[in-house]
Amino acid sequence: MHKVEFEQLEETLFHEKLDNGLNVYILPKKGFSKTFATFTTKYGSIDNHFVPLGETEPVKVPDGIAHFLEHKMFEKEEGDVFQEFSKQGASANAFTSFTRTAYLFSATGEIDKNVKTLLDFVQSPYFTEKTVEKEKGIIAQEITMYDDQPDWRLYFGIIENLYKNHPVKIDIAGTVESIQDITAEHLYTCYNTFYHPSNMVLFIVGNVDPDQMMELVKEDQAQKSFEEPTEIKRIYPDEPKEVAIKERVLEMSVQKPKVFYGIKPEKLDMIGPDMLKHELSAQLAYELLFGRTSDFYHHAYENDWIDESYSFDYSLENGFGYALIGSDTHKPETLIKEIKHTLQNAVEKWPFGQEDLDRVRRKKIGFFLRALNSPEYIANQFTHYAFNEMNLFNVVPVLEELEVADLQNAFALVSNESQHSIFTIMPTNKDAQ
Amino acid sequence: MFETINIAKGVNVHVNETTQFKTINFSIKFKDKLTKEKASARSILANVLQHSNEVYPSHTALRMVLDDLYGTSLYIDSSKRGNEHVVTLNVETVNDQYLSEKGVLEKVLNLMYIVLFKPNFENGLFKDSIFAREKNAIIQRIESVFDEKTRYAQQRMMELALPNHPASITSNGTIEDVQNVTNEQLVAEYKEMLTQNEIEIYAVGDVKPEMIASYIREYFHFKDREKTIAAPPMELVKPEQSRVLEYEDMKQGKLHMAFFTPITFRDEKFPVMQLMNGVFGGYAHSKLFVNIREKESMAYYVSSSFASQFGLMFVLAGIDSKLEEKAVSLILEQLEEVKKANISDVELDQTKALLTNQLKEALDSARGQIDIYDQYMELTESFEPEYMINKWKNVTKEDIAAAAQELSLEMTYFLSGKEDEKDA
Repeated sequence: MHKVEFEQLEETLFHEKLDNGLNVYILPKKGFSKTFATFTTKYGSIDNHFVPLGETEPVKVPDGIAHFLEHKMFEKEEGDVFQEFSKQGASANAFTSFTRTAYLFSATGEIDKNVKTLLDFVQSPYFTEKTVEKEKGIIAQEITMYDDQPDWRLYFGIIENLYKNHPVKIDIAGTVESIQDITAEHLYTCYNTFYHPSNMVLFIVGNVDPDQMMELVKEDQAQKSFEEPTEIKRIYPDEPKEVAIKERVLEMSVQKPKVFYGIKPEKLDMIGPDMLKHELSAQLAYELLFGRTSDFYHHAYENDWIDESYSFDYSLENGFGYALIGSDTHKPETLIKEIKHTLQNAVEKWPFGQEDLDRVRRKKIGFFLRALNSPEYIANQFTHYAFNEMNLFNVVPVLEELEVADLQNAFALVSNESQHSIFTIMPTNKDAQ
Repeated sequence: MFETINIAKGVNVHVNETTQFKTINFSIKFKDKLTKEKASARSILANVLQHSNEVYPSHTALRMVLDDLYGTSLYIDSSKRGNEHVVTLNVETVNDQYLSEKGVLEKVLNLMYIVLFKPNFENGLFKDSIFAREKNAIIQRIESVFDEKTRYAQQRMMELALPNHPASITSNGTIEDVQNVTNEQLVAEYKEMLTQNEIEIYAVGDVKPEMIASYIREYFHFKDREKTIAAPPMELVKPEQSRVLEYEDMKQGKLHMAFFTPITFRDEKFPVMQLMNGVFGGYAHSKLFVNIREKESMAYYVSSSFASQFGLMFVLAGIDSKLEEKAVSLILEQLEEVKKANISDVELDQTKALLTNQLKEALDSARGQIDIYDQYMELTESFEPEYMINKWKNVTKEDIAAAAQELSLEMTYFLSGKEDEKDA
């Protein structure tokens, strides 16, 4: 077992890669009563085109299948896994993102039993045509619920605008129509391909003894048999640099317009330390341009072009990413003009120096240290970073080394206007009905 | 957990000295009576005070100093509990032992003083442009509820079921009342908040209780004040309508049901009602989830919640608009099961285990500690999780059934997306 100490943060991380390829991380947290564990596969909604385990020809699977599979993992021949966790005083849950499917629990007692339950249920698939059919009604209601949420529609609307071919543009849960095609056989194909331990990370954080916990996991995994790990072949289409759709409007039952200004970064093949440095640089650049101390924010807020719903975000994965700036607004056109203007000015003359960098860097370090109070944040973010070959605990040292030029370079990758797009939700015109 | 130091009549400092967290959290809670007018004025006040002040006269200047203090977070929120309206100054700052720079804590305490006591005044009133802008911000916040249809449906039901009751008054007040607040009234409200509200000051982190108390004593000068908030509950009046159907342009139907119960937070049967709610619909092992979602595949979410301050229980479900009647009858069927004490040992044990876990888990965050302590202070002097755990332990199925029998369904509200079925 490897032990890595992060002295400044007063955290010690234990790691071991097991014989079956599973990466296990344990972070003991003193003073906490709870333990939080996530068991995550590097498999999300974008992995819809791949060569199934043991085969040679690639297949395409129905939209929404990773999320469907996540739902079905909880049902077993002997009943519902939620019941098991509840008996052991644990709150269990799961989520599917573009790139990951995570199963998790938090508990303040019976941790050994709960860890065993987590490993057992994720490693014993049980799908029948009957249980698959039954789930379609539930997921259809979940999809319908999201369809009525303007903020979700706004988010997916802009991603659909930005990407022409990449499967990130497909809604994570699929559509009510696409999930009708899902069969038990599909689920087994996806499960067998992506749920191999070598494609997964187990992260346990909280009130645990690392030696004893690692032994427990090792023993459990040694008793189960898995195929030899093989490399997973995932196929992603070519994605042009420019956006798919420049501008689109959707009408919904909302009280005022909502806007997202989206930007597709130019370079999307980064991984590891490069990716970490780029992502942090770009986030700081956006903080300076659009954060709460920026000139843009000041003018937009005092003039009532934005309200408390205002947000901006820069997010990067291997193969896709986006910068988003948006708000509910009575003046969508003015707001868009101002965002464009702010970006253009920064392209023509970079307005920030060392003092600005120092300030937003301090803010970001503070945010990170605050986040380390949360076991949920640590487990989820660590896994996300690990799948992209980065280490969460390197965030502070990398931040400390950034220079103004790094921010400028990161910003240069998103400055071309052919990479920009706008999605607006307008209130339904009731008089027209 | 907390050490309490009284610094004036009606003003207490509570400190939990702990190294569990990498940050230090503060909350200063100003408690007043909940009315529509108060909630409206105090929401504007919260925003105006967090916008800027005499020392940092623009929003940007204040935010820059916070960034410089390692992204110290500072916000003032407006909330309610029972018939109290609460304005809370929340501050979280990094423990400077993790930083190369020292002295951050003193600067943060000083900033809290400035935010509360050095407002951005012009001729004895709040600066007019800021007053107008923040009034507008609160109006927009109230309007935005419409966009989130689950919240909107719940708010609509409460307005219809219990008009002018603290249960339906929202913490931000109403658009009309916000519009009517004058700058003079806001200044009066501000002075009243500082001099007459009950104040609870919390600190959680690696800090000494006496240090915090003496700082507050020395700089904040809070004077004695009388307890002004009368004890709840207000009586629940039977709604005029028992079923309401409304329409919006949407796909999913939102079913909301409101039940009255004589059991409230202050009742000795409060723990029984918590368990009743848990067995019925609080969790993924509960009757509603197992039967309506898993067996019938009718809903993605279906759950119950207990608003213990008012003696209300709600059931919420997102369903196909055509299935309202079926859903209501299935939900009531499950309630009948609870009333008949058709509860397995497993269901009872699971619910006790999860309530226990939830409470202990909440105490793993500084905010959770503050919220729970602030709430339970009324029931017990020094709250520990065992206080509730021991009460849950002895509750039987029969107790739960008896609590369920006291529930009365008072309103079924359905927000539907299918206009054409209006006459059906």
